[in-house]
Amino acid sequence: MSTDNSSKPAEASAGAASSNPGPSENGEDEKAAVYECNICLDTAHDAVVSMCGHLFCWPCLHQWLETRPQRQLCPVCKAGIGKDKVIPIYGRGNPNPQDPREKLPPRPSGQRPEPENTGGFPAFGFGDGGFQFSFGIGAFPFGIFTSSFNMSDNRPGPPQAGSPQHTEEQFLSRIFLWVAILFLFWLLIA
Amino acid sequence: MASMEKRLQKELLALTKDPPVGVKVNTDAITKNLAEWTVDLEGAPGTVFEGENFQLQFKFGSRYPFDSPQVMFIGPNIPLHPHVYSNGHICLSILTDDWSPALSVQSVCLSVVSMLSSCKEKKRPPDNALYVKTCSKNPKKTRWWYHDDSV
Ligand SMILES: [Zn+2]
Ligand SMILES: [Zn+2]
Repeated sequence: MSTDNSSKPAEASAGAASSNPGPSENGEDEKAAVYECNICLDTAHDAVVSMCGHLFCWPCLHQWLETRPQRQLCPVCKAGIGKDKVIPIYGRGNPNPQDPREKLPPRPSGQRPEPENTGGFPAFGFGDGGFQFSFGIGAFPFGIFTSSFNMSDNRPGPPQAGSPQHTEEQFLSRIFLWVAILFLFWLLIA
Repeated sequence: MASMEKRLQKELLALTKDPPVGVKVNTDAITKNLAEWTVDLEGAPGTVFEGENFQLQFKFGSRYPFDSPQVMFIGPNIPLHPHVYSNGHICLSILTDDWSPALSVQSVCLSVVSMLSSCKEKKRPPDNALYVKTCSKNPKKTRWWYHDDSV
């Protein structure tokens, strides 16, 4: 058992990192770095390894998978990944190993904001509404353009000039034009 | 919040100890909780940005590294580049859709430097004027409406 040197470094470094966090020689540091989680950059705890060979703490990976449930990719190499596509790792120091995947969720799954929600930047004061707002500005003018162009172009039989219908339509398209102009003006000064 | 600070602490240590060429963290400009950084970038030799210096601002939310940081150019010199708007916003997919928690300040900096280095002609994006007028202050929000097709 003690002759099996190849399996030793994992145990030694994991032990060193958790029970002896003080300064160690450089070689030890590098060995420990090999067992760092690719997400928190700490020595992996409740470790799992993906099919593509990348190591994570299960809590870290789980949180990433929950962040983008529709697009579960390995953070390192973008290979497909998922709860049933990782293998838990049990070191010797763990007397009664339990699959880390059974221990979760460590936090309620209800608190998942959308990936692009930037609740973390309260300084800007933009909530979800901020996103809607900038989207609306981007798309709206084009909608107006198309509708006012259509009004003059795609009309099969324009009514006779001077007829009541004609005046009414002219009136309507003029309103649309003014709305568009006002909106553009507002855009410019906003 | 704690996990975000812990990770940023590690990144800061590694970056100051062993910085990549042309990338220098401005440690004086880092806020106390590590939520805001400024990184000085140098235009790579042999590229159109040789000899120029730029400042990249990072803002980290409490969900970092699961959420991407907010990254933009600040300061007097915004690189004249087809993917960099005059307000400092950068069109780079790893900053939004292609973000991964395995990326870091260092890898973002290196991506930005290589994006600059691959530039042949110094010019602004074609939609710069309209974009700068209509975009949100947060560059992370804006990619949606001009890259809708990739969603
Ligand atoms: Zn981890
Ligand atoms: Zn992988």
